[in-house]
Amino acid sequence: MKLAHVAFVAGRVARSLRELLWTHLLTAGVMAMTLLVFGGFLLIQENVGQLVRGWGQEIHVFVYVDGNVDRAAATGLRMRMERYPEVRAARYVSRERAWEDFKSALGSQSGILEGLDPTMLPASLELELYDGYRSRDAIAGLVERVAALEGVQEVEYPEAWLERLRLLLMGMEWLKWVLGGVLFLVAFLIVGSTIKLAIVARRDEIEIMQLVGAGTGLIRAPFIIEGMIQGLAGAALALGLLRAAFSFLGAELLAPFGSLAAGAQLTFLNTWQCGELLVLGWLLGTAGSVLSVRRFLA
Amino acid sequence: MSMIQLHSVSKVYPPDYAGVKDVTFQVEAGEFLFLCGPSGAGKTTLLRLLFRSEQASEGQILVDGRNVTRLKGAGLAAYRRKLGLVFQDFKLIPHMTALENVSLAADVVGVPWRQSRRRGFRLLSELGLKDKYGVLPPALSGGEQQRVAIARALVNEPEIVLADEPTGNLDPERAAESLRLFARINEEGTTVLIATHDPRLLRSFDGRVLLMHQGRLLRREDLEPAASAT
Ligand SMILES: Nc1ncnc2c1ncn2[C@@H]1O[C@H](COP(=O)(O)OP(=O)(O)OP(=O)(O)O)[C@@H](O)[C@H]1O
Ligand SMILES: [Mg+2]
Repeated sequence: MKLAHVAFVAGRVARSLRELLWTHLLTAGVMAMTLLVFGGFLLIQENVGQLVRGWGQEIHVFVYVDGNVDRAAATGLRMRMERYPEVRAARYVSRERAWEDFKSALGSQSGILEGLDPTMLPASLELELYDGYRSRDAIAGLVERVAALEGVQEVEYPEAWLERLRLLLMGMEWLKWVLGGVLFLVAFLIVGSTIKLAIVARRDEIEIMQLVGAGTGLIRAPFIIEGMIQGLAGAALALGLLRAAFSFLGAELLAPFGSLAAGAQLTFLNTWQCGELLVLGWLLGTAGSVLSVRRFLA
Repeated sequence: MSMIQLHSVSKVYPPDYAGVKDVTFQVEAGEFLFLCGPSGAGKTTLLRLLFRSEQASEGQILVDGRNVTRLKGAGLAAYRRKLGLVFQDFKLIPHMTALENVSLAADVVGVPWRQSRRRGFRLLSELGLKDKYGVLPPALSGGEQQRVAIARALVNEPEIVLADEPTGNLDPERAAESLRLFARINEEGTTVLIATHDPRLLRSFDGRVLLMHQGRLLRREDLEPAASAT
């Protein structure tokens, strides 16, 4: 294909975009909505995932010991627990230490502790777990063994809701693809029919081009490029909308998580994911137009 | 070698109407000839067979040694780029200006934009349409549209010109002017075949005339008295 052909095709694409402007805009709009839903899922997934991963690091099992367990006995317990395969590290928190931690957690309001007994908090062992042992079942097994040890009064660990959140994330992954898939199909078909419309609108012109010797490539290229542009434009629009929604609603989205999300930072899709979304739009547009061109430009 | 060769070519339109029947003739390279005959004789059909917008039902068509009946796809496109076609119904694109219509044919061949416009404008000027280059076909008179169609056929300096009734909408003066243009490109080596049902065009013409009637080509002997009768 010669350079002059490139200019020629570009001119035809520009003309078609201009002449069927509203149809093209509508199609790009539908494409944008589709990718917006998909991208929205991606964004939520990304952030919730990050939040959960953050909490995951924090899952510690707290083992409170009997009041009569002295420091030496506690150290024995600690060393024993550190040999468990699930446990990465165990830390002994004495009564005094617990009191200090509590005070510093209260910060400026620590004054309310004035006059209270500094030994009222129990000593404990704080177990940090290995990555592979943070599931509910693994923790339950560990808790059972630890609770049976002598000198252990109570074992506390984060409730099963963490596990449920993971299930929720997995569900979202599925929903993203199922819903996304249906919407992709819709976008794909709509691009296809827009291109069909463009082809039908140019039927006479195409015939004339064929009569003056235009090859298949020259006749098809403008339509396929139109489809690509629709896909890309839709994806860009979706990204823009997503970005805007993120800026305006981001903080509000965190609110329901309350203090759990304190300190958590919402992040937008990274460059790689934005690129993925653009490529997805481009692919959908191209596929839709290629299909149409093959069917209606025989 | 002959530029165009037809051997016993027939075209049957479904269900069984023969638009062209058993036509055989040859055209030498650089020849200028007319295909003449009354309305419905099959002139357009014959030309359509030549530029392969119709497929012959029978017979063989060779153009410049190529078997045209078998062409398709890229080969057909390449073949058509060597032809300059003037259609009886013009086939102009209504939403493109006269100049854009003319340069379209050059654009398709890959002529750079500026050059294709320049060529188109020159031809339009020669055909008396200097002031109309920016006008859309629906706003042109029949004769003007016809001249735009002629300009498009000539823009690529084709090897062969097939013109279907190219002067049908022109007044005698314009018709003569267009014929002179065809004659000039013929002198430059282009083979020209013009179909017409207007015997007046032949008055001052001393080349070969193919006479068609009811899908058949009449032999030369039949032609002589017919031509002198007009
Ligand atoms: N697509 C078609 N289907 C069926 N019959 C057709 C078709 N095209 C042409 N014909 C018939 O073939 C015959 C020849 O038609 P053609 O158009 O070749 O005539 P022509 O010589 O060009 O006439 P005119 O001088 O009026 O243009 C006519 O009787 C016409 O009705
Ligand atoms: Mg005709």
